[in-house]
Amino acid sequence: MLIAVACLLSVAAHAADPDGKQLFHQKCAMCHGPVGMGTGLLARRMKPEVAQLESREDLSAAYVERAARIGILNMPPITRGDVTDAQLASIAQYLSKGKP
Amino acid sequence: MDVPNAPANAATLAKTLKAMSDIVGAAAVFATAEDRDAYSDRFPIDPHRHRPYAAVAPTTAEQVQALVRVAAANRVPIWTVSRGKNLGYGTAAPVVAGSIILDLSRMKMIEVDVENATVLLEPGVGFYDLYEYLQTRNIPLVLSVPGNSWGSVIGNALDRGLGYTPYGEHTRNLCGLEVVLPDGDLVRTGMGAMPNSPSWQLHKYGYGPAWDQLFVQSNFGIVTKAGMWLMPQPEIIRGFDVEMDRMEDLGPLIDAIGPLRREGVLLQSPTIGNWFRAANILTTRKQWTDQPGSLSDDVVTAIRKQFGLGWWGVSLRVYGRETVVQANLDILEKALKAINPMSMKPFSWRPGEPFAPTQGGWMGVPMTFPLQSANWFGGRGGHIGFSPVLTQSGKLAMQQFQRSYARYKEFGMDYQASFAFGERHMLNVNAVLLNLDDPEFMKRFDPFLRTLIADARQHGYGEYRAHIDYMDVVADCYDYNNHALRRLNERIKNALDPAGILAPGKSGIWPSAYRKAGKA
Repeated sequence: MLIAVACLLSVAAHAADPDGKQLFHQKCAMCHGPVGMGTGLLARRMKPEVAQLESREDLSAAYVERAARIGILNMPPITRGDVTDAQLASIAQYLSKGKP
Repeated sequence: MDVPNAPANAATLAKTLKAMSDIVGAAAVFATAEDRDAYSDRFPIDPHRHRPYAAVAPTTAEQVQALVRVAAANRVPIWTVSRGKNLGYGTAAPVVAGSIILDLSRMKMIEVDVENATVLLEPGVGFYDLYEYLQTRNIPLVLSVPGNSWGSVIGNALDRGLGYTPYGEHTRNLCGLEVVLPDGDLVRTGMGAMPNSPSWQLHKYGYGPAWDQLFVQSNFGIVTKAGMWLMPQPEIIRGFDVEMDRMEDLGPLIDAIGPLRREGVLLQSPTIGNWFRAANILTTRKQWTDQPGSLSDDVVTAIRKQFGLGWWGVSLRVYGRETVVQANLDILEKALKAINPMSMKPFSWRPGEPFAPTQGGWMGVPMTFPLQSANWFGGRGGHIGFSPVLTQSGKLAMQQFQRSYARYKEFGMDYQASFAFGERHMLNVNAVLLNLDDPEFMKRFDPFLRTLIADARQHGYGEYRAHIDYMDVVADCYDYNNHALRRLNERIKNALDPAGILAPGKSGIWPSAYRKAGKA
C-alpha cells in the first residue's frame, strides 16, 4: 500500500534526564550489558555471574564515579561531554544500590 | 614530522576558553587535568603527544558557529569529535597538542523518514542510540555497524568506517550535510541548499558541485547534521560461513568472491579474516604461549584447532526477497565449492528470529565485544590501524599479505589482518594489537608501522584512513605531480580557514601558518 505522506519521527535533543537505571542502559550497557566488552573482560577477573555490573553487590557510588572518569585497564575514561556529572552520579547511585 | 603544539600562549588559551564558556555555559566546559586525560588518545604511541588543552560541548549548530568565530578571532586550534570514540585512530585526541576539543556528544537529534528509508542525524547520535530508536518504534530499517559500535553514526561515516551489510561502506550512505564553515557560516549541501526541499536526504548531488565528500576526512568544516540512507529490512538473510585451510588459499578465495561482488550477486561488504580473529577476543596470549615474538606456527595450529578455523575465513551474506536471495545463494554456493573450502556452514535468518550475538553485525546490531582484543597481552592494550587500498586481485593480495606477514615476524608482532571488499577495491585492514604495558614493545611498534606504510607505498598502495600519528606519512604517499593533491587540499584549506583553526594536520592537511613555521 502506498503511504501518501512520509512518516516523520523525531526525538527531542534534551528530554528530561531519566533515572539511574535508564541512564546505565543508555550510557554503559553497550559494554557492561550481557555481551559487551566490559562484561567479557571482567569475567576474566571475577565470577562470570557478577561480571555484569548490575549484578554486583560490592560497588560504592564513589568507586563507580572514579572508575568511569579515569578508566580502568582496558576501559577508556568516560568524558564529561558524554556523561555529565549529574548523570554519572545517578548511574553510580543505581549500581551501588545506595552505598555511598 | 614533529607534532606541533598549539601556537597560542596560555593567556590566549584561557581567554578563548572563557569566551567559549560564555557561549555554552560553564557546565559544558571541561578543563581539568582529568578532562585532558579523558580526551587524550586511549590507544596511543605516546599518551602525552596529543593532549588537548580543554573540551567544550555545544548543543546546537548556532553554538558551534559562535565557538568557531571565537577560535578564529584568537587563532586557537579546535578539533571536532562527534562522540570521541575513534579508537585505533586517535580516540578524541587532536593532532596538535593544546587544541580545544569541540565535543558534539550532546547533539543527539534523530529524525527518521520511514517511507524513504533515510535518517537525519546530529553527530552525538551513537549506533546504540539509533538502533534503540528504531527497535523501540518497530521501524523496519536496518543499520550497518562497525566492529566497535560505541561511536557516532555520523563520525564513523565521516572517517569512512566500514560495516558488514550491503550498506557497509558507510561514507556512501551520506546524503546531505549541514556544515559550519571555519568563518562561522552555515551551509547545507545538495538539495538542502533549497530551504524547503523535500529531497535533501534523497538526492546526493543537488545542482552544481557536490560537496559532501569535501567534508569527509577533512578539516574544511564541522558537520552538525547529516542525512544517511538506511537499509529497508530484508525478508531474509542467507549465506555461508566459509573456512579455507591453507595460507595460500587467500588468492583463490578473493578471486572467487571478487567477480560476484562486482556483478552484484553479493551486495554485502565481505571481510576475509585470518585465524587470529576469535583468539584475540576470547582469550589472552598467556593462554597460548609465554614466548616473545610473533606467534609460532605451533600456536597458530593450536588456535585454529580450538576454534575450528581455517587460515582464512569469511562470512558471506545475501540480503533481500527470498526468491532472489535463493537464486544468488545458488550461484555463490557453486563458486565457493569450486575452491574446495575446509568448511562451509550455511546461515539463514528472518527478522524476528533469535540469533547468536556474534552474528549481530550482519543484521546491523551494534557490538563492542570485539574490543576485548585490547586485553590480548593481559593488561592495557589496544590497536592501531594500517589499511592500504588494494585491488580485488587474489595474486596481488597474496603478495601484499606475504610482504606484511614477513614484517610482522621481523618485528615480533602477532598477525591480525582482514581483507574487506568494496565494490571494486579491497581494503587490507590490519588492526595491529598494542601492548601498552611493555615499553620495549611500543618502541618497536612505530618503526614497524612506518615500514608497513613504506612497503605498501612501493607497490602503489596507500591507506584509506589513518591514526593521528600517521596522517602525515600516509598523506605523503599521495604525491603525484609533486604533491598536487596536498597542494590543492591546502589551497582550499587556506581559502576557507585563513586563521588555520579547524583541526590543523587532519589527514595531513596543514594551514599555511603551520607550513610557514616549519611545523608541518
